[in-house]
Amino acid sequence: MRFRAKILDVGCLNSFTRVVNTISKLTKTCTLRLTADNLYFMLSDKVANGGVSMWCELDQGNFFDEFQMEGVASDANEIYLELVPENLSRALRTAQNAKSLKAKLTKKHCPCLTLAAELPSLSSVSRVVTHDIPVDVIPRKLWHDFREPTVPDFDVSIYLPPLKTMKNVIDRMKNLSNFLVLEANRSGQMNLKIETDLVSVSTHFRDLGNPPCGDGGSQGASQDLETMAQARVDIKKLQQFLSSQQVNPSKAMCSKLIYPSIHLLPI
Amino acid sequence: MKCVIEGSNVKVFGKAIHALSRISDEMWLDPLEKGLAVRSVGPAHSSYGCFLFTRLFFQLYSLNISSPQAALGRCKLPVKSVLPLFRCSASIERSVDSCKISTGLSDTQVTFQLFCKHGITKTYNLGFQEHDVLQAVFPAHLCPNVLKAQPSLLGDMVIHFPASQEEVTLSVCPKRVTMRNYCEERDQIKVMSTEMSLHPEEFDYFHVGVDSDITFCLKELRGLLSFAESHGLPVYVHFGHPGQPVRFSVENMVLEASVVLATQTDSESEVSVQPGGSEDPAAPSVCLSVERSQSWSPCMPPSVCTGGGVESRPQDAPPTAPPEEQVPSSQGSPVLSRPGNLEYFGLHVATDSGAHAAEPESADPATFRLHSLLFGAVSSPWPNEGDVLHTSLACASDTEEDNMEERSSATPMPIY
Repeated sequence: MRFRAKILDVGCLNSFTRVVNTISKLTKTCTLRLTADNLYFMLSDKVANGGVSMWCELDQGNFFDEFQMEGVASDANEIYLELVPENLSRALRTAQNAKSLKAKLTKKHCPCLTLAAELPSLSSVSRVVTHDIPVDVIPRKLWHDFREPTVPDFDVSIYLPPLKTMKNVIDRMKNLSNFLVLEANRSGQMNLKIETDLVSVSTHFRDLGNPPCGDGGSQGASQDLETMAQARVDIKKLQQFLSSQQVNPSKAMCSKLIYPSIHLLPI
Repeated sequence: MKCVIEGSNVKVFGKAIHALSRISDEMWLDPLEKGLAVRSVGPAHSSYGCFLFTRLFFQLYSLNISSPQAALGRCKLPVKSVLPLFRCSASIERSVDSCKISTGLSDTQVTFQLFCKHGITKTYNLGFQEHDVLQAVFPAHLCPNVLKAQPSLLGDMVIHFPASQEEVTLSVCPKRVTMRNYCEERDQIKVMSTEMSLHPEEFDYFHVGVDSDITFCLKELRGLLSFAESHGLPVYVHFGHPGQPVRFSVENMVLEASVVLATQTDSESEVSVQPGGSEDPAAPSVCLSVERSQSWSPCMPPSVCTGGGVESRPQDAPPTAPPEEQVPSSQGSPVLSRPGNLEYFGLHVATDSGAHAAEPESADPATFRLHSLLFGAVSSPWPNEGDVLHTSLACASDTEEDNMEERSSATPMPIY
């Protein structure tokens, strides 16, 4: 099992860092899957209990100038590692002006993902910062836990309002209740509602726009445009997701509602 | 003592307090003839910080040296009393015109007055405990390794370590300087390790007499580093073998600041510190030597204690040591014990040694191995001035002021 990769372009390094920062805000540990062409950051949690599951697929060619890997076996040319994304984020944070960043799988006191950044210096010899991030290699027999989630049939698909606005609303609602009901319809209307014994609060958004009804739409056009599809979610998890979004400043996002879960897809 | 700090120097003073607050919860104000010294000693006595503001720093500095000691106003204050006065440096810059510090008028209080814009005056009377002032002595001239670096260089080195990182190991050899995080064996499994290395060329001055890896507490140093960065002052680093303390210092026309930190010994010669336990005759220099007075005060031979940990000395025994035990840093100088100097070791003698012994018990095992090791002369750190300061001398501070006039004319006594 071997892995070596290199990033030489500062822009690629910044983008990769932003992705890793987003992930580190979402979860404490996650699984990194390496294949010959892609990297995947995955988290599967118990979705039925209001947990969060995450799947992030990156084309390695978009970030790395060199990328070589050898998986656990020739018929399974992949590597699954469990790591703490915060460590990765911390290692990348101070290497933003690096001349080059090398990543490789090593074995120190335990298996590690070693990142070595070459930094500009005042002398002719560059400064080198090396981070050894401990990882756990996930054995092949557990790989089936990390299948790509299929996008299930959905009732409504809608573009979200500016994330900042939504985050402000949800921050206030979080103080009042643990759960929030998000409902949306195909006319571009979305409501966020909470209800407690003392008070009920709802925020209404209009003219949000719905993406074209492509794959997966259940019941097709027969569904009434005004009918609201509802889902009840844990506010804290939703807030965590919204606050982690750093990747796209334009913030067009798509949300698909299937009772009882919501799929949020950054675009 | 009465002094007035004007204008932008108030912010400088505030930043110094912030830096010292990283070392300990208590600070000492020590008005001296040459200026005001503000000091702080860390827990387990493994770190020491001192900012000396010379007379030039102040718009007004008056010290009545012939007054009785109490009126001089040496005092120990909790840092959290003083820190709020200087908490927000931006607002100090905007609104405070000057700051006046008066001590000695009352036995129990020191007065800080902030004269602000729009005719506002804020007066703070801070209570204190009269306390013997501590001063670490550090023989900078004896250090085999000396580095001088721009503050941004050291800042660039430490930025790679998270704020929560307690200890780091600095390794030097003629080809490379490396800093890496340090963690205990048992923590090592799942902790991310970071190492940063650069070439000696990047230092303004680089003299390595002995290749060495020293492990010290980074947290306590960060205060001085950010002070140096905000004033653009180069930082001098003096150190030697592992186990000997390391000193980081900065200076300019109006102030001198230094932080002395104990370093871990090599694991082979590790000393296990036990409360009230038996002295380990093979112990390296685990010793607290605290001088009350100026390093250059003449007239008394060095009083140095050796042998065994601080914790193991019984409360009422004078500091004696068998002649074969010597403080390595003194390079083989003879050890003298002066029963009269017992009072100087107020840190571990006057306090209840039982409590002191108990102190490291609750400390993190990593600090357990950091020796209370502060010795030498608070002298000029610069190598070329070292020869003047062979005298790391103690002088009773009661008689300090009497010696003030004699100081310039007295010849220093050599140590061997």
